[in-house]
Amino acid sequence: MSALVKDRIAKVLVYLVLIIAALAVVFPVYYALAGSIMPTRDLIKAPPALVPSGIHPGNFADVFHAIPLGRQYLNSVVVAGIITVAQVLTSLLAAYAFVFLPMKWRKAVFGLFLATLMIPWEAIIIPNYKTISNAHLANTYFALVLPFLASAFGTFMLRQSFLQFPMELRDAAKIDGSGHLRFLWRVVVPVSRPTIAAIAVYSFLSAWNQYFWPLLVTDDPKMQTLQLGMSQLNNSESADPRLILAGVACSVLPTLLLVVFGQKFIVKGLTSGAVK
Amino acid sequence: MTALDGASHDADATLAVARGGGVRRRSALLSRDHGLAWLFLLPSLAIFAIFILYPLVQSFVLSTHGSDIFGNSSRFVGLKHFREMFSDSGFYKVLGTTAMFTVMTVIPGVLGALALVLLMESRIRGIRIFRSAFALPFAFSAASASVIFAVIYNPAVGIANGMLAHFGTKPVGWLTDPKWVLLSVVVVQVWMTLGYNVLVLSAGVAAIPGDIIEAARLDGATGWRLHRSVVMPLLSPQLFFLTVVSTINSLQAFASIRILAPEGGPGGKAMTLVYAIYNKGFENGNSDLGTASAYAIVLLFIVLVLTAIQFGVLERKVFYR
Amino acid sequence: MRRTLRARSLRVAAGLLAAGVALSACSSSSSKGGSSSGGVPGADALTNAKGVVNLTFWHSMQGTNQTAVTAIVNAFNTKYQGKIHVTDSFQGSYDDAIAKYKTAVSSHSTPSIMQIYDVGTRFMVDSKQTVPIADLAAKDGYSLSDLQPNISNYFTVGGKLQSMPFNSSAPLLYINAEAFKKAGLDPANPPKTLADLADDAKKLTVKDSSGKTTQYGFGAADYGWFVEQLAAESGALYCDNGNGRTAAATKLNVTSGAALTYTNWWSDLVKGGYALNTGRPTPDAQAAFKAGKVAMNLESTGVLGGYVDAGAKSASPFTVATAPFPKISASDSGGPVVGGASLWIDRVGHSDAEVRASWEFAKFAASAQQQAGWHEATGYFPVSISALQDPTDVAYRKAHPQFQTAIDELQATQPTPATAGCLLGVMPQARADLEQAMLNVATTSTSADSALSDASSKISKLISDYNSAVSG
Repeated sequence: MSALVKDRIAKVLVYLVLIIAALAVVFPVYYALAGSIMPTRDLIKAPPALVPSGIHPGNFADVFHAIPLGRQYLNSVVVAGIITVAQVLTSLLAAYAFVFLPMKWRKAVFGLFLATLMIPWEAIIIPNYKTISNAHLANTYFALVLPFLASAFGTFMLRQSFLQFPMELRDAAKIDGSGHLRFLWRVVVPVSRPTIAAIAVYSFLSAWNQYFWPLLVTDDPKMQTLQLGMSQLNNSESADPRLILAGVACSVLPTLLLVVFGQKFIVKGLTSGAVK
Repeated sequence: MTALDGASHDADATLAVARGGGVRRRSALLSRDHGLAWLFLLPSLAIFAIFILYPLVQSFVLSTHGSDIFGNSSRFVGLKHFREMFSDSGFYKVLGTTAMFTVMTVIPGVLGALALVLLMESRIRGIRIFRSAFALPFAFSAASASVIFAVIYNPAVGIANGMLAHFGTKPVGWLTDPKWVLLSVVVVQVWMTLGYNVLVLSAGVAAIPGDIIEAARLDGATGWRLHRSVVMPLLSPQLFFLTVVSTINSLQAFASIRILAPEGGPGGKAMTLVYAIYNKGFENGNSDLGTASAYAIVLLFIVLVLTAIQFGVLERKVFYR
Repeated sequence: MRRTLRARSLRVAAGLLAAGVALSACSSSSSKGGSSSGGVPGADALTNAKGVVNLTFWHSMQGTNQTAVTAIVNAFNTKYQGKIHVTDSFQGSYDDAIAKYKTAVSSHSTPSIMQIYDVGTRFMVDSKQTVPIADLAAKDGYSLSDLQPNISNYFTVGGKLQSMPFNSSAPLLYINAEAFKKAGLDPANPPKTLADLADDAKKLTVKDSSGKTTQYGFGAADYGWFVEQLAAESGALYCDNGNGRTAAATKLNVTSGAALTYTNWWSDLVKGGYALNTGRPTPDAQAAFKAGKVAMNLESTGVLGGYVDAGAKSASPFTVATAPFPKISASDSGGPVVGGASLWIDRVGHSDAEVRASWEFAKFAASAQQQAGWHEATGYFPVSISALQDPTDVAYRKAHPQFQTAIDELQATQPTPATAGCLLGVMPQARADLEQAMLNVATTSTSADSALSDASSKISKLISDYNSAVSG
């Protein structure tokens, strides 16, 4: 067998494996999208249809009727948005203090920040739940965002980035003793834009995907986030695959488009700093 | 996350120089800056104090108290919850399930993504389509992915059993059979992480300088040998990173279990540690926050140990580099 | 399934409670009963009240049911304009609502009227927050005889009706009539016992040429509620202390009787390939019946409308027939336990006028006219006997002849402690443990005896933990 033929066969095999893998990975995505426009008779039959027998856009209207999907969308955007902005701001300030400002016990405080990174949120979720419910904050945006307004991870990333600044830049902050905020805003922020973007992507996605915490602190469907809305569709007594798939299709469409068209940006956001 | 030291020394050094300057105006400014530093740290410190440090202490307090029927913490019971937990065979089952779930999701998730990324390196056409396809699951949150799979796994009208029927195979109780439920949840978890893992590894491969690969090829390295001896070592930071991230994600998996296997599924076969916290503390009207807190403390210790190991590995890697 | 708690200890809570009562006493002009033991207010408390008495009503009704609740509330507000105003507020699922109620007790912000599901009854009694309906009725000499005795029986604890029955549903056997006829069976002559049901299930199981099952004879959710029904029908107490009604139960009987029989029966059908096991989620079993994948199904009256609709719209349409819930043996004289929810009137932290106004609302909601409309709008079983004579209701049953089965079934049942059903503060958890055990038996080689005795010891621990939490 010539090398050429061997190469050909290898290539065909590679294609075959990739195609099978791609079909397997894409199938649930396809099924969610196809199922979202299927009429009931396609889904409630055994075996169910693979291809919609007709287009049934009424599913979307029905799912918006079944749960306050629009409101939950808004909740998710508001909550993830507030958390993202807040984490960037508090991390900027904290990292700035660690790098540009003189302070006592710098190491100890920074060590404390890092230590918080090691504590799994689920291990302290019960006392936090009690704090929120004692404060009568259940079913409010406060409950959903308060614990996440600061980020040790973001602070750490920004600090690493600030430390890369040339000495002269860091000294400039000290020469001009006043106007730290101006210096932070005019000089530090523009230079750190890539890191800030990375933190923002990371914060937003983490907040967007949250499930356990919103489950504990909200039960009013109008205050619940999209993720809870999805699982509510599945859990309710009247669970209907038609509505479930229409709901999921609505909820993932934006992120789906982001993954297809904004891959590079996401990769940068999620891996810079963490790897290297 | 890298080491804690870093350049804070430098800042201290410049600080020392500044102090040495001795100009009065300067030191006044400096002390003001000291205050400013704390002011800047205040928002973060306040959040950490209220939502991490206080609850950390409170977890231990709760774990030594009983609770009334309204879920309020009641009288002090000492180590009763821990004694009961350690003498309960269910607890060890939960630990075993957690370990199994983690291994079953992390290894296929990382190695599967690696295999796909390496296959895509074979310089074939249509790579971008494949890469996009493999990255798609990243768009799904744990909740939305699980909900889709719940429909797919449906015992009577699910497409999974529908396809099995096409091939003349008997239906499987994906979520109703104790033998299958853990695997069924694992599949969802692996599917979810695959997208992210492919994205990260693809980025890693793209970052490998082309001349290194070319040089290796000129040396006669092809196919598997090229991958094993050149590409994989260069991907090791990404692989390590993914292993750490996936391990933590798997340990914290919650939405997939609540949606696909409430109460840990049939036979409690999918009851992981994090889920057990929810189960004891909240699920089905349970309000045994003492026991739930005892489980939470076990989770805390496991994660601390894993973090220590992770730092150990990292340090060794840094050393060899 | 969650929510609860406050960080304070009970003692602090008790202190706050006293303060709260004092505070609300200041803010309220009417005479103050104080705690729940402070007596039952008379009608004058409401007649003497100045201005409009505002009530809050927490419920768990969603979708069309929520619309129906709002209709009742609006009708009430119109009738009592200028005197009483009820604000209804949806609080999530039954589980969510009871969890919220726990939090509300701790923070002294309970609603005036609370809808709680059947299995929450024992908890409500133990919470000592409410005033029994029977006490209010006795004060007025008001007769409760229009309530379906089998329904009020469920909510009677310690000899007193505790809460006002509101939305009830009864268990039924649902039958795919076309499948029945195809198998040479008569839908008008449905199986009456578990054994009959098993025989018919075998006849109704259809395989294609390749040996794949295209239709299972039977398929119902793995649901502890069914065991409770069978126990009631067989006349046996499901838990001790008179089904938890003379005192808090200490033991649930899942190792013998109905639980053992049903577990073995179901497991045999599943293993024999005659029953489709769809696990614990009830919607999955419903989907199987709607898809024509199973020919017989056990469910509550609540799904009737959805079933009839799905049968008509199906790719191969079928009609839905109903039959009484099966019994263990034909000689069983008991009847099913009624499920659903009831309305509780909160006492602690609420003024006399408020309690009286809540009582007016409870009577209104359970009245014949409201219950007939409610039945029509939601498919729930009317709790008022005379509601069945209401023209609205008569018309409804004409349109849904399958519903008559439930009425006959219920009216044929003699109220006894057994048919009242077992009350347990931890019933949701106990059901879950039993269901896990049944599933284990049906899917593995574990024997029913060993699985159920494991479940029994888990449940006993739950009960004793709960009972000791009640006593503090």
